[in-house]
Amino acid sequence: MQSQTAMNTFVKETGGWVAAQLEACTRCGMCAEACHFYQGTGNPEYTPVWKVELLRRAYEQRFSPFGKLKVALGISKPITDEDLQHWSTIIYEACTVCNKCALVCPMGIDLGTLIHDVRAATAEAGVVPADLMAAVNKQVEEGSPLGVTDDVFESRLEFVQDEWEVDLPIDKQGAETLVVFSSIEIMKFPANLAAIARILNAAGENWTLSTKAREVVNFGFYEGSHEHTKLFLSRVFEGAKELGVKRIVVTECGHAYDAMRWTSYNLMEVPKGIEITHIVALMGDYVRTGRIKLKKGAYNNGTITFHDACKIQRKGGHIKEPREILGVLAPESFKEMTPNREEAVCCGGGGGVIAIKEADPIRYAAFQLKINQMTAVGAKTVAMSCSNCRLQFLDGIQHFKYDVKVRGLAEMVAEALEEE
Amino acid sequence: MNWDAFLAFVRGPLFQVALLIFIAGMAYRLFRVVFLGWRRDRVPASGSKAGGVAKSYAKGILIWPFIPWVRNTFRRNPVIYLGGGLFHLGLFTVIFLGTAHMLVWKSLLGFGWPTLPLPIVDLMAVVGITAMLVLLVFRLTNPVMKLITGPAEWLNWLFVFLPMITGYVLTHHLFFRYEVTFSLHMLAIDVMLIWIPFSRISHFMFYFFSRTIHGIEFGKRAVSP
Repeated sequence: MQSQTAMNTFVKETGGWVAAQLEACTRCGMCAEACHFYQGTGNPEYTPVWKVELLRRAYEQRFSPFGKLKVALGISKPITDEDLQHWSTIIYEACTVCNKCALVCPMGIDLGTLIHDVRAATAEAGVVPADLMAAVNKQVEEGSPLGVTDDVFESRLEFVQDEWEVDLPIDKQGAETLVVFSSIEIMKFPANLAAIARILNAAGENWTLSTKAREVVNFGFYEGSHEHTKLFLSRVFEGAKELGVKRIVVTECGHAYDAMRWTSYNLMEVPKGIEITHIVALMGDYVRTGRIKLKKGAYNNGTITFHDACKIQRKGGHIKEPREILGVLAPESFKEMTPNREEAVCCGGGGGVIAIKEADPIRYAAFQLKINQMTAVGAKTVAMSCSNCRLQFLDGIQHFKYDVKVRGLAEMVAEALEEE
Repeated sequence: MNWDAFLAFVRGPLFQVALLIFIAGMAYRLFRVVFLGWRRDRVPASGSKAGGVAKSYAKGILIWPFIPWVRNTFRRNPVIYLGGGLFHLGLFTVIFLGTAHMLVWKSLLGFGWPTLPLPIVDLMAVVGITAMLVLLVFRLTNPVMKLITGPAEWLNWLFVFLPMITGYVLTHHLFFRYEVTFSLHMLAIDVMLIWIPFSRISHFMFYFFSRTIHGIEFGKRAVSP
């Protein structure tokens, strides 16, 4: 039954875009070495192209005459419920959909997106790890996977305003920019809220928060369910429409940015005339145009490095901005890890992986790669622009008893603001 | 057995039939993918899609194959890069720049081109054959390769290897009479041509799809592909 639902989804997902890429694969196996989960564990099942195997089998059996012949002869086995269970653990626990494999593939196959298509089928069939599904359901019912209800949202904002003495405009009609935080920031990194508010206020931005569009996290996108992804996106878009804003700024959250900036348009009707951007892009813009002034060399003490998030840098395109900002903040102490930028190694906790308890051992195994990178440059501080990466880093360094300061870029910028 | 008659058959009617199956099969595969439907991409781009595509090909054809060692994945697994790269280099040199093959192309296309001296072509053939053997051993022993390899992949290897090895034997007049090796070489080519539309060797056509898609996807995000 589940396998039938999954099969139907595979067929629905398969257009020329998917088919052409599946046809291009030569099974060369190069993608294995691109995957931090394979590198960290050596488990051949974590090879990116193997994660797409179900989609490939479905394509072969439904769309190629040769495949139909193979099914008739019993060479190609139909997809079973057990297969779905098995692949569900591989694609949710051992993949952050970071898409580094796409850069390594000699054919340039966009493997991350294809793996997301496999997730769409497992989501449709209801074969999703329990921990992840619980978070999705919580977001459906309460509006947030971390329990940020209306009351909690209000009290957290009050707390931030008191603690950091900063203005947080809420539901301001006529504001140009709507800022949407992730629940990780609201619940775990409230200093991020204060920092971003101070930056926007310093830049003289006409901005607001929204009680309706209170958070941008999209666990439906982790799950791969189009229905849930659309539901969570529409909450933000509704809030934006009501306030009549011209721009939505996604804060330090990667997957949410991918969903909103790069996926929503092909999934649903996005309200016209609203630009979607990321806080890193905005900060870069402010620094470049002089709308905010930063203390030069404010972080020149101790080597500082930058961790590129898969969804904000590699898939988001905001690679230059953090470097421009760090070029001002730490011109002498900033050092790149290798590889970096679009080729960066993923933190290992994105794509919903950190929400799944069973994935802990391989999540730490993948994080070992980041530790090696940080050790190689002798980093005292590691900066990043994604709260999900930050959670993984904080958890990872605690697990390995590794000594490094983990910082969000917005907080660093806010602390280095030159007061007028 | 009358090898002269057999040779006439494998380089005549059978070759023509094989060529026909190859062309018709590939055309069918192409049309099937093209007409499967392409959704319009409504995402507003941050960067240039055309620029991304240009970079995608430049990197895929001109840069990575020649300086693979700058890549992290190369250092972790050089066999696939070197084996795959040298195999393709050997193959292309032999089938496009070998005089005998150029003459076949000339008879099919109506025009020819300058070729390389035999010793160089011969060396590249050895390089290609060696690379194939290394890749075979790699596929047999590496856990990742064992997992992702099915019967079709073994047949791919075999049907590409046979024309290469018979071609080598033919050029060097080894073991058998000329007519015999020439017949076997042509037979191997006929089998390969018939097999290609049913296999992943067809990647030489879909390469242009995936590489273009790759360029568009990265280009629109203003990320270097």
